[in-house]
Formats: sequence, structure tokens, C-alpha cells
Amino acid sequence: MSGPDVAPVVRALDQAMIDAYAEASGDHNPIHVDPEFARTTPMGGTIAHGMLALSFISEMMTAAFGERWLRGGALDVRFRAPARPGDTVTARARALEDKDGRLRYAVECVSQADEVLISGTAEIGA
Amino acid sequence: MSVTLTDLPAGHVFEPITFTLNAGAARAYRDAVGDTLNLYDQFGAVPPLAVAALALGALLEQVSLPPGTLHASESLRCRARVPTGATVECHSVLAQRSLRAGWIVSVLETEISFAGRPAVAARATVLSPAPA
Repeated sequence: MSGPDVAPVVRALDQAMIDAYAEASGDHNPIHVDPEFARTTPMGGTIAHGMLALSFISEMMTAAFGERWLRGGALDVRFRAPARPGDTVTARARALEDKDGRLRYAVECVSQADEVLISGTAEIGA
Repeated sequence: MSVTLTDLPAGHVFEPITFTLNAGAARAYRDAVGDTLNLYDQFGAVPPLAVAALALGALLEQVSLPPGTLHASESLRCRARVPTGATVECHSVLAQRSLRAGWIVSVLETEISFAGRPAVAARATVLSPAPA
């Protein structure tokens, strides 16, 4: 058995969104909000907070499962590549075989070039 | 703030943090990430990632991240729906520390509870540039 289809979430990222996230979350790491500093790093420019891109996956699962996600969801992900201002990020999910009564999904965020930015699994309790 | 994450030893236990997830903070978070779902209002709930993100933000008032620190992985467990207006308590520990390929690897584990009940558990791995 596997879970129902989950609709993707698509979101355009820009620096204003990253700055707003920094303000809302309190994470003002200069790699996210200081273009001059970010240019001197291996990233070559600012990147979005990983938790900002990850929020698109959580939003996708909340839309699909509602309170079940809010009270019993689980995420295990790796951040594979940075999301940058100007990227359009798509969060999507593919149902896996259920395990121990929990729905399981392979989840990822990809860029407009289909580069995997985040990948991992999501589980939802009964 | 005088302490940097990479200065702390593995096993370091951070001071517990208590804060209230008021409607304004929850709204600012949802506006920032572009989350317009009505479900949160129906349930009077805060997005679980907002709970984790705001807890991290509060922790960053105790400890700074070296510039250039990157988020490598995240595990999140939702144990209970967190209502808007809840006062949450966060307990964080620097669970692991290692050096790998020029990066200092830190694993932060955080347990967030409200009204004495577990709400969200988070485990974040972050990479900080090692000094040359």
C-alpha cells in the first residue's frame, strides 16, 4: 500500500523573500543576506536558508494531510545544493511503500533546471 | 553575544529557551515563506517548521554561527500540533562535533515542548568553514 498523490508547491525565490525570512526567523547569517560577503564565499552569492526551502515541503505535506501532518509528520532531508535568488523552487513528493502503518514519501525540492536542492523522506502517522 | 558555535564542545547543553509563538510572529513567518494555507487558521496552529525555525532563531541569541555556515541536513518530528499563542520551551544540545574536509561539522538537537508535552524534535547538521 502507498499513500495518495500529493500536489507540488512551486515558489519563486528572490532576495526580498530571503531577507524577510531572515527577519522572521532571526537567522541573519551573512551568507543569506549580505551580497558582498556572500560573493567572497565558495557560493559566489547569497543563498536561501535551507529551512526556507524546506518550508515548501512542509507546506506541501500540510496541504495534503492537514492536522495529521501537524501532529505526526516527520521529515529527514539533506540539503544537496543551494537555492538562490531568482530560482523557482518546486517541492514534490512521490509515494513510497507504507511502513509500520505510516505513509512514506520521497520528497525533494528542485530548481527550474531540475537540480535537486533538497532530498529525503517524509512520513505521516495514522 | 560572545560565544560561537564552533567554540563549544560536543555535549554542550544550551540554556533552555522559552518564548511565545504569538500570532504576529507566526504571520510574519508565513508571509516570509509565502505559505497561504488556511489550515493553520482553522486549527489555530503554527506551522511546525515555524516552531523549529523560531526556536533556532532564539538559540542564535545565545550562540553565533561562523559566517559561511551551511545547513547540511535536518530531521524534524512533529509530536503535537502547536497552537498559536503557545509558550514553548526549547532544550538544545550540541550533540556531535567533528572535522571533515575543511569543515567543522556540528549536530544540534532540540526538543521543543509546550504545556509540558513534546511538540517538535529537530536535529540539524551544520557545516562551518574550518580556520585555515
